[in-house]
Amino acid sequence: MRVRRWIGTALACFLLLLNVNLVAGAQSPSSSGDVVLRVGVVSDLITANPFAVSAGSDWTVATTEYDMMLKFSNQDLSPVPSLATGCTHTTDYMTWTCTLRKGLKWSDGVPLTSADVAFSYRFIIDHKIPQYRSYFVSNPVFETPNATTLIWKADAPTFALNMPPWAYIVPEHIWSKYNGADLKTIKAVPNVPTVASGPFVLTSWKRGQGWTMTRNPNFWGTPPIVDRIEYSLYTNQESMVQALKNGEIDIADGLTPGLFKSVSASPNVTGQQVVSDWWLNLAFNFGGQGPNADPLPALHDLVVRKAIEMAINKQAIVDKVYQGTAQPGDTIIRQASTYWHLDIPASQEIPYAPAGAIKLLTDAGYVDTNGDGIREDPKTGQELRLRIPASQDTTGAVDSGQLIAGFLKVIGIAVDLQPVTDAKMNDFWAAGNFDAYIWYWSGDPDPNYQLFVFTSAQCGAWEDGCWKDPKFDALYQAQSTTMGRAARLKIVQQAQLEAYNQIPSVVLAYPSWLEAYRNDQFTGWTPAPGAKGYLLPTYNYDTLLSIHPVVGASGSSSPSLPPAAWIVLVIVVAIALAGVLRRRRTADDEA
Amino acid sequence: MERHGYLLRKIAHAFATLLFVLTFNFFLFRVLPGDPVGILARSERLTPTDIAALRAQYGLDQPLPRQYVIYLENTATGKFGESLRSGAQVSTLIGSRVWPTVLLVGLGTIASTIVGVMVGIRGAWTRGSLYDRTTLYGAMVFYAMPEGWLGMLLLILFAGTLHWFPAGGYASADTVGFDRILDVANHLFLPCLTLALGYVGSYSIVMRSSLLEVMNEDFVHTARAKGVSDRDVRRHHAVPNAILPTATLIFLSFGFVIGGAIVIETVFSWPGIGLLTYDAIRQLDYPVIQAVFLLSSGTVILANLFTDVIYGYLDPRVRAS
Repeated sequence: MRVRRWIGTALACFLLLLNVNLVAGAQSPSSSGDVVLRVGVVSDLITANPFAVSAGSDWTVATTEYDMMLKFSNQDLSPVPSLATGCTHTTDYMTWTCTLRKGLKWSDGVPLTSADVAFSYRFIIDHKIPQYRSYFVSNPVFETPNATTLIWKADAPTFALNMPPWAYIVPEHIWSKYNGADLKTIKAVPNVPTVASGPFVLTSWKRGQGWTMTRNPNFWGTPPIVDRIEYSLYTNQESMVQALKNGEIDIADGLTPGLFKSVSASPNVTGQQVVSDWWLNLAFNFGGQGPNADPLPALHDLVVRKAIEMAINKQAIVDKVYQGTAQPGDTIIRQASTYWHLDIPASQEIPYAPAGAIKLLTDAGYVDTNGDGIREDPKTGQELRLRIPASQDTTGAVDSGQLIAGFLKVIGIAVDLQPVTDAKMNDFWAAGNFDAYIWYWSGDPDPNYQLFVFTSAQCGAWEDGCWKDPKFDALYQAQSTTMGRAARLKIVQQAQLEAYNQIPSVVLAYPSWLEAYRNDQFTGWTPAPGAKGYLLPTYNYDTLLSIHPVVGASGSSSPSLPPAAWIVLVIVVAIALAGVLRRRRTADDEA
Repeated sequence: MERHGYLLRKIAHAFATLLFVLTFNFFLFRVLPGDPVGILARSERLTPTDIAALRAQYGLDQPLPRQYVIYLENTATGKFGESLRSGAQVSTLIGSRVWPTVLLVGLGTIASTIVGVMVGIRGAWTRGSLYDRTTLYGAMVFYAMPEGWLGMLLLILFAGTLHWFPAGGYASADTVGFDRILDVANHLFLPCLTLALGYVGSYSIVMRSSLLEVMNEDFVHTARAKGVSDRDVRRHHAVPNAILPTATLIFLSFGFVIGGAIVIETVFSWPGIGLLTYDAIRQLDYPVIQAVFLLSSGTVILANLFTDVIYGYLDPRVRAS
């Protein structure tokens, strides 16, 4: 009897499992009739607080939820209307008047007025919110003569509104209670559920699992067709790719080059290689950060830096490290800033020419005097051996470092590559106890911030290795006080050329962000910037307003064991249990 | 008196170990290179002044002994503080991860215990048979196989190729109620199977070898000579005496339930304690790392204490020594 009970229990468990798989597999998450976009991501949402955003998914969520006063265009990230229909300026560029749309509302139904805009900007300035404060130079004050007018007055000419300021407009009735709080307190505000003005708001969030954004009924623009966006976190790229192939998700965000190539070749999947908005950087150290800064003196010699640049095969880095999903690097303004990025003319490019690099070094007196294969500095007698930390947390940095070590060995320069975490990279950066490092830089669509970090004044702060170039500093100043966009562009290009020729760092590559989506589920994506832009919200949320299901799309569903396989399994288990039962009866009989 | 003395000694040892872990946890992670606030410099555009201000606000500018005292006070009062990275309460973060981990590792351990012990017993009892050889080699293969690799194989086969199970995660976003339970079970199957297969190997090998030793003992031969049936010899004489090493292994395994299974959780995107620990270490999130390690260490210490006590009562020779 006891044996029969056990077998009965086992069968019940098995049937329950059968039920689990069949039911779970059969249910369609879209069965409610809602249009649901399912997104797979590899970067978890760390905060829903717009004043604490840090990692990729934080920015995605904030950009989807919140509006800026002016937003980035889909074509070239130039300023276009958002909450404001436009801004005008006085001839001296010291006063800007912006007109907001009428009838704006927050997601909770409270009216959104110019007072909210003024509050948001004031909050950033007063609390020194690090992510946004650089847009508010020249001591601006804000006036709100009526609900739809914001007047921005600065004590010097400013083009801040033409950048435009990447600062989210938050509701004063929610955030005013944190006025006067310290940054730690502000960063700790959970901000869920969120009150915002964008097309979707965050409605549920399970750390480590994913989050859901639901359509905002009070959104001021064209209502999106999608009712809900469900983000699922994958801690393993392979599983995210399998989920995309399975149809569990509609789009996968942030793929590795190897998986991107393979999944893009799958049926019903289209890959999107996004124009790069960051660059891999071999930065030289010139010293001056503090008492522990001890870089190789020879790096002050442009000949040595130029020889290193000439010895590095950037195309090999693109091909081997990024498997073709990158572009060789040239200037310190990334490619995504399409209007500002300078594509160095071929006639002015520093070529990949190891033989030329060897000649440069030899002619300058850097020769191998002791026959160990490493050249020595004629002034100090020190061998040209570079300590190069490389960030393990930056895609491709360590692999590129290994290639670079090989490239530089050819010209008689030794490399001690040190793969370290970003935490340790930060220590190197602050102390200056390295000769060069491999890390990354990104930036804004506007070039001001990226140029700023290379100025002499940033030694010990933002500057990689305390490069000091008066000409570059002057160009930075000139562009920051030039109001006309076209005139400013010329100066920005000169600044890029100066950095390119003086080589404070070698811009190794512009790696692409990689996305892939099911072309049998959704269509109508609006990439930004340009046709090779991001499909998911990064610079604006327009793509969410334009996407719609493909006619005849089946909708995503959870995978399940096919009924035939279950039947076979049931038969196998039944036979096995019958065998056990028979043996036990035999044993009982023998006893 | 002897029993109480044994118990008290074991409890005292466990308490001393916990105190050591408490101190070790604090200093170990501060040896890691890097500054937990400075690490955000690029992503949040913090200047050196911002970093100094935030360090002061988080109390990281205090001398280490002072930070240690604050840490002890907070731990004693059950306050684990806030995550340096997200600002969320550490207890909330851990609370949201404990259940998935217990579900995965707990179920995997229970399933593998039952199967592993049964396979080991039958293998030893039919030593040299086809069944024994097959299960022994199978157990050794699963025992030696890296669980991440095994998980990846199962993932590619059952999720990517056959589309029988989800490729990862804990549950679909919009399921509620009973549907959610079914959905979680569907997501749980592959990671649980991966974990169980690895454990089954070790349990069955230990059980088999332990039983083989006992089978040659005099009391087993005596039982057989007295005409006790084969089944009763196995059930009432051999297995109870052979179960001790396996029981130790099983109880210790339950100690690691809270610690999570980092590799399996990573492969299957399972939102457990293991992943939380990994992320916290990478981001130098001291409050989270300290709390997680204290919790996992405490569980292991408790499991050890439980094993010691049970072992002492199961085998009086241990207690006496």
